[in-house]
Amino acid sequence: MAARKRASSVTNSAKPASSEPTPATKEQKPTVSGEDFRLAPPKLGVIFVISSLLCSLYLYLLCFHYNVDNELKRPILINAGLSLVGFFVTLKLIPVAARYVLRRNMFGFDINKRGTRQGQAKVPESLGIVVGIVFLIVAIVFQFFNFTEDSVWLVEYNAALASICFMILLGFVDDVLDVPWRVKLLLPSFATLPLLMAYAGHTTIVIPKPLVSYVGLEVLDLGRIYKLYMALLAVFCTNSINIHAGLNGLEIGQTVVIAAAILIHNVMQIGGSVDTEYHQAHAFSIYLTQPLMSTSLAMLAYNWYPSAVFVGDTYTVFAGMTMAVVGILGHFSETLLIFFLPQVLNFLLSLPQLAGIVKCPRHRLPKFDPATGLLTGTKDGTLVNVYLRIFGRKSEKTLCIHLLVFQGLACAFCFMLRHFLAGWYK
Amino acid sequence: MAARKRASSVTNPAKPVPSEPSPATTEQKATVSGEDFRLAPPKLGVIFVISALLCSLYLYLLCFHYNVDNGLKRPILINAGLSLVGFFVTLKLIPVAARYVLRRNMFGFDINKRGTRQGQVKVPESLGIVVGIVFLIVAIVFQFFNFTEDSVWLVEYNAALASICFMILLGFVDDVLDVPWRVKLLLPSFATLPLLMAYAGHTTIVIPKPLVSYVGLEVLDLGRIYKLYMALLAVFCTNSINIHAGLNGLEIGQTVVIAAAILIHNVMQIGGSVDTEYHQAHAFSIYLTQPLMATSLAMLAYNWYPSAVFVGDTYTVFAGMTMAVVGILGHFSETLLIFFLPQVLNFLLSLPQLAGIVKCPRHRLPKFDPATGLLTGTKDGTLVNVYLRIFGRKSEKSLCIHLLVFQGLACAFCFMLRHFLAGWYK
Repeated sequence: MAARKRASSVTNSAKPASSEPTPATKEQKPTVSGEDFRLAPPKLGVIFVISSLLCSLYLYLLCFHYNVDNELKRPILINAGLSLVGFFVTLKLIPVAARYVLRRNMFGFDINKRGTRQGQAKVPESLGIVVGIVFLIVAIVFQFFNFTEDSVWLVEYNAALASICFMILLGFVDDVLDVPWRVKLLLPSFATLPLLMAYAGHTTIVIPKPLVSYVGLEVLDLGRIYKLYMALLAVFCTNSINIHAGLNGLEIGQTVVIAAAILIHNVMQIGGSVDTEYHQAHAFSIYLTQPLMSTSLAMLAYNWYPSAVFVGDTYTVFAGMTMAVVGILGHFSETLLIFFLPQVLNFLLSLPQLAGIVKCPRHRLPKFDPATGLLTGTKDGTLVNVYLRIFGRKSEKTLCIHLLVFQGLACAFCFMLRHFLAGWYK
Repeated sequence: MAARKRASSVTNPAKPVPSEPSPATTEQKATVSGEDFRLAPPKLGVIFVISALLCSLYLYLLCFHYNVDNGLKRPILINAGLSLVGFFVTLKLIPVAARYVLRRNMFGFDINKRGTRQGQVKVPESLGIVVGIVFLIVAIVFQFFNFTEDSVWLVEYNAALASICFMILLGFVDDVLDVPWRVKLLLPSFATLPLLMAYAGHTTIVIPKPLVSYVGLEVLDLGRIYKLYMALLAVFCTNSINIHAGLNGLEIGQTVVIAAAILIHNVMQIGGSVDTEYHQAHAFSIYLTQPLMATSLAMLAYNWYPSAVFVGDTYTVFAGMTMAVVGILGHFSETLLIFFLPQVLNFLLSLPQLAGIVKCPRHRLPKFDPATGLLTGTKDGTLVNVYLRIFGRKSEKSLCIHLLVFQGLACAFCFMLRHFLAGWYK
């Protein structure tokens, strides 16, 4: 659910106009021309803090704590280097792309600032396309440094690229043409098909020890049902980030927090095992998550409160799909689901409105009070609103930080769960 | 080179406005609203004739003339069936997409009808996105009917999908954001990288027999230079279709003629050989060319003279990339280049203007005379103009048919060349 009011084109009488106060009409404002437009400078200080918080534990584990084999560490560090290049390229490209995007009238107004001066600024939309393209290029170029031509991982890697690329395409087409939501639900299923085809791993699940006596088996082969589960997981991931949105920096923020957890999980699994096959699977996830992390952080520099650019559906579906892909091909999809706990909560809270049982407005954002600058929770079924109703009114930035900390706690909870259930569960 | 004047958005003074007569301003026309818009009906009769002309020889060779092994024929026919479904899906989706595209102000005016009533109609642009997405879905779904999970072709197939998908993405981004041409030249190189990585075939070329005594070798391994050649071929194919354009139906027309030649070539190679590896390579090309053919013909039903939709750069780069991909992975890239003879000619004729030696206007179209309805060749260096200057004034439709026949003759010439040089060359 895009939480920004999408600006109607001037000659577009067919599109239903959301109720907008008169200051938002375009005729009365000076026309934004390509040359005059200057994007607000990137908030690099914030990004430095966030990067340190998220990446330091991972880098410590990778380089010092675990004795990772050099054969494996080298490609991971090469990938990290390429991702760093991707960070700077994205940082440079976003202001350029923002001009092009504005020229095409792809912008929105920040609803959570409605009534203030900031609420009248045209914010360029769909900058997720920059992140997507740079990610793809980094991922494609990395192939040359790591895989030999007849490696078996090349199939899965290319299938992953095809799936993610298709998802970026569909996300961008949605941002440009605004496709109906039923189509939006259906299309990710097609985007996961290359992945399902290439998935050569096991389709068995390990029955939790306490249940073995009831089920009668230790290991159950789900076969095609496992593939259906994979497809549903991808559809869930792509959409759930989309609906847990609406605050400056929330979409990218949740993604980088989960990405950090994914990286830590992968390096822990590599460190705690000697199986080469197992190592490869988790290294594979790292190869795709590091670029996701770095390009996302670069855009967060512009998207953090107050947002100078909006990410668009292009970003949220791309991020969701990439994380689903790494979870599936790295064989840790159940762990991924627990990282996604806030998104799952948000989805469950949203169900009544999504199903149409309760009335569902166009935007389910909290109510903004221009006088105090604080957000108040409405009765809508989203985590954002429920959090506000439990913990009281907050400013947009504080609320976003709270929710990101909550995301981090959910990931930490997952690690604890895995640790304590390790002997008991499997 | 997009030959249609791209309509400037109303609030966009930054974009240079080509000299346009006043009837073309959008304010004075009735606003096109989504619901009122009705696309002209598809020209199915024309498509039936074109399909029959192009496909009959191929189908005859496949089903009757050659004794193709059933293990190979079955997947080819399944692929043909899926492509047929793709034809009808594309046919149904284009009117729907046209509405969405118009709503986003993505349209152009037909310059070759300027001064007539038709020249004031807003023609929806970039409908190539429909062809691209349906093609990808057909290609993805086909995997389930043919490849087993550990097949070696799965790598190349997924790499092909990734390359083509990335190209469609870049083409659509170009259509929406209008990226500078230097970027347009550079990006296809990135899109070919998955392909180069996955290409596990030989990088040797066979020295023509007459030259063996000079070179001293029968077979020369070019190694990485061969991969560079592959990348350049892809960049050439994607761009050359783009600049041999400007007449209703020319872009799709040249694509389907070359596609028909590709299909015939592949079935001839399958029929004339017993090597399984060889069969697989050529079947692979067929698996990607049949959907290209089917979806393109569906759009041609709307794009044939007089065009109801325009294809956009999305289509031309997608078509070029797909043909480059099948040529590379099917190991017949030299044959492909001879099929592309008119495009090569057009490129050579265009070089002075593209290099800036001769002045290069925004559009290099022939001059249209509204009184007679005929086109006259200008001094611009394009095949379209040169053809008109040699053979005299023509209407747009007959000129297009002439050029497509020329394309067909170039392909026939290639077959003859291969036949006569067969014993002499290799």
